[in-house]
Amino acid sequence: MASPAIRTESLTKRYGGLDALRDLTMEVPRGAVLGYLGPNGAGKTTTIRLLLGLARPSAGRAQIFGLDCQRQAVEAHRLLSYVPGEADLWPALTGAETLHVLGRVQGQVDEAYRDELVERFDLDLTKKVRAYSRGNRQKVLLVAALMARPALLVLDEPTSGLDPLMEQVFRECIFEARDRGQTVFLSSHVLSEVEALCDQVAILRGGQLVEMGTLASMRHLAAVTVEVVFEGPVPELAGVPGVSAVRHDGEVVRLQVRGAPGPLLQVLAGADVQRLLCHEPSLEELFLALYGGDGTAAGDGGNLP
Amino acid sequence: MAPGVVWARTARRACRSGVLWGYVFGISVASTALSYSSIYKTRAERLRLAAAFGANHATIALFGPAPQLQTVGGFTVLKVFLTLTVVGAVWGLLGATRLMRGEEDAGRWELLLSGGTTRRAAAAQAMAGLGAGLGCLFALTALITVVVGRSSKVHVGVGAALYFALTLTAGAVMFSALGALTSQLAATRRQAAAYAAWVLGVSYALRLVADAGAGLHALVWVSPLGWTEELRPLTGPHPVALVPIAAFTVVVATAAVALAGRRDLGAGVLPDRDRARPRLRLLGGQGTLVLRLGQPTLVAWVLSVGVTGLLFGLVAKSAGATISGSSVRSVFAKLGAPGAGTDAYLGVTFLILAVLAGFVAGGQMSAARAEEAEGRATHLLARPVARPRWYGTRLATAAVFLVVIGVVAGLSTWLGAASQDSGVGLGALVGAGLNIVPPAAFVLGAGALTMGLWPRATSPVVYAVVGWSLLVDLVGGIGALNRWVLDTSLFHQMAAAPAVSPHWVSAGVMVGLALAMAGAGTVGLARRDLRGP
Repeated sequence: MASPAIRTESLTKRYGGLDALRDLTMEVPRGAVLGYLGPNGAGKTTTIRLLLGLARPSAGRAQIFGLDCQRQAVEAHRLLSYVPGEADLWPALTGAETLHVLGRVQGQVDEAYRDELVERFDLDLTKKVRAYSRGNRQKVLLVAALMARPALLVLDEPTSGLDPLMEQVFRECIFEARDRGQTVFLSSHVLSEVEALCDQVAILRGGQLVEMGTLASMRHLAAVTVEVVFEGPVPELAGVPGVSAVRHDGEVVRLQVRGAPGPLLQVLAGADVQRLLCHEPSLEELFLALYGGDGTAAGDGGNLP
Repeated sequence: MAPGVVWARTARRACRSGVLWGYVFGISVASTALSYSSIYKTRAERLRLAAAFGANHATIALFGPAPQLQTVGGFTVLKVFLTLTVVGAVWGLLGATRLMRGEEDAGRWELLLSGGTTRRAAAAQAMAGLGAGLGCLFALTALITVVVGRSSKVHVGVGAALYFALTLTAGAVMFSALGALTSQLAATRRQAAAYAAWVLGVSYALRLVADAGAGLHALVWVSPLGWTEELRPLTGPHPVALVPIAAFTVVVATAAVALAGRRDLGAGVLPDRDRARPRLRLLGGQGTLVLRLGQPTLVAWVLSVGVTGLLFGLVAKSAGATISGSSVRSVFAKLGAPGAGTDAYLGVTFLILAVLAGFVAGGQMSAARAEEAEGRATHLLARPVARPRWYGTRLATAAVFLVVIGVVAGLSTWLGAASQDSGVGLGALVGAGLNIVPPAAFVLGAGALTMGLWPRATSPVVYAVVGWSLLVDLVGGIGALNRWVLDTSLFHQMAAAPAVSPHWVSAGVMVGLALAMAGAGTVGLARRDLRGP
């Protein structure tokens, strides 16, 4: 059977006395689009650096398509492309020259696709890198990674600095990559993006893998958010089994319900309900459920600090 | 935003620095003046000193004119004047470019200027702040000089001491103004500092040629450093030289303020070429990329070394002729260049070029370290490039670069010397040029080892190695140093070719050690974590 795109076994990284990553064991199958989430300092960038061979693990090992990330780093790099969250480019080179040299170093470039990407991302390649805004530099790195059509894309906050239009272009490119069978490993803070792109999600916290699975299978972790607008008197809902975090706002009541909604529905059937809205937990609510107490009100805009 | 904010900010930082360097200047003057009477106790000794160095064109070209060495004033001027003037000029231009262009580039001026201060006013305020810093430099220097002057060993009047302090700060004043002007012309702080440094280099070269006794003394009036020289503090004050100094400063400063009003914030007056058609030469891979990125530095250093070598060669014959039969011979002999004549003189000039080569090596390692620290190396090392290959390519390129500089040094010196029929052979000079490579290679190897094991220390270590070797060699040249200490200096180990023939054994040992350190450094780099984004 073909080896998975990424496999780690008890991958650990210690810096001094601090465990940046502890016993990370996971497998990312070929063709998957995995969202890698966690608060700042959880170990996401450490994981990526270990996978790329930029850092050495204190224990455990990692493999990319069956190739050891440390001992067979060069061969593994032929199969992947990396977009770092923030890194300088060479200021004296133009965009065109940068893409050229990065393509030659990678060893493979789909030139027609590269030209198409440049147009879609609206990049002016005649400008020198020092004249680019941060967003434009990020675009150069994205094009450089995508144009190689690698089997694995490792992306660390790839859309930081991009405007919404370009984020949309990026999403389309990832969909196309997925359709071509490429594997994507996306470390991101933009939960809406992960929700839209990824079929699998792994959540890291304090250096340890807390959850991993499809979004659908993880939805059980958070409650369903219900918003009820009452016409007449508001019934007492706090004591209903499964219900929590009841908030009254005039005649609007917001609450969360876990497990079977039956008892709640019975109470609501007896009251004068004008409007009822339920939605499945978003990735952000899921995230907050894991990190910030249980199911507080829905967040704003889908971005976490 | 309160008016005068730019002035206050700039003045605060400039004054802090000015006080520190004023102290350094003052202490240099004090220690030299106070030690004179203990080194040269009798009048006879002092007259001998004057006879030896006073009219010697070799030392005058390198260290500045030295009239009246039998007095403490003359001696002090010989020892510290040119060095402190150049140090002051470098301090001035670096400070000006940092506090003007650097602040602007960092975006801090945008915040201050949004409050209604015009760009011109901001520039004027910043320059006034620099002026305050210069005032602090002068004040500290003057204070210490006056106090030392009152000592019975030194016996220099208050007026003369103040004039001396003024002349010491003149270089800093002129080049501060120049740094302010280049901050308007260039687009980045580095470019601004580079333009000003070029002017300083040319001034030094003109002054050197003027003083070398080749009949071109009038050139001294074309160079700002020449004007400071003509002030002749403590030995025959010539205040009329203050006129060109003041005029230069006023004109340059006014131009700087005028230009500040005429450009965009963050840009320079000279166009910054930001677009180009792609030139794909040397972009075929990570190895040739190093060459492409290093091209501007290589060209700049080749030009600098070439011009320096040419000048040294031009003055070699006339300067060397004055060494024979004088006491300068003993100093040159201590520096490793025994004998007399052109060869001995060139032995010392190649020592200077060796120090330059050491700094080039230091710069190469600092650049490699910056590639890693700022994340540019990640773009290569996350692609199919093995770390030893990346590192090895950089080190090998730097080594070849050093050899090129050595050859250029030898060739250019020969060109200058041959044009004056100095009678030094091409082979001997190219050999002398190549001879400066092993110490620089050692520096490169030390840097390679440090970067492989302890990357944050790379820059400090390489510059410490060069600095230590230079310091030990210089001090050994003037006084007596323990043999073991002297042996730690790379420049002492290097033979002062062409005064003597190169010690190929020492050269081989230095190169061998360099290779070993580079190898160990490569292993270290391959095994450690990469730092940086």
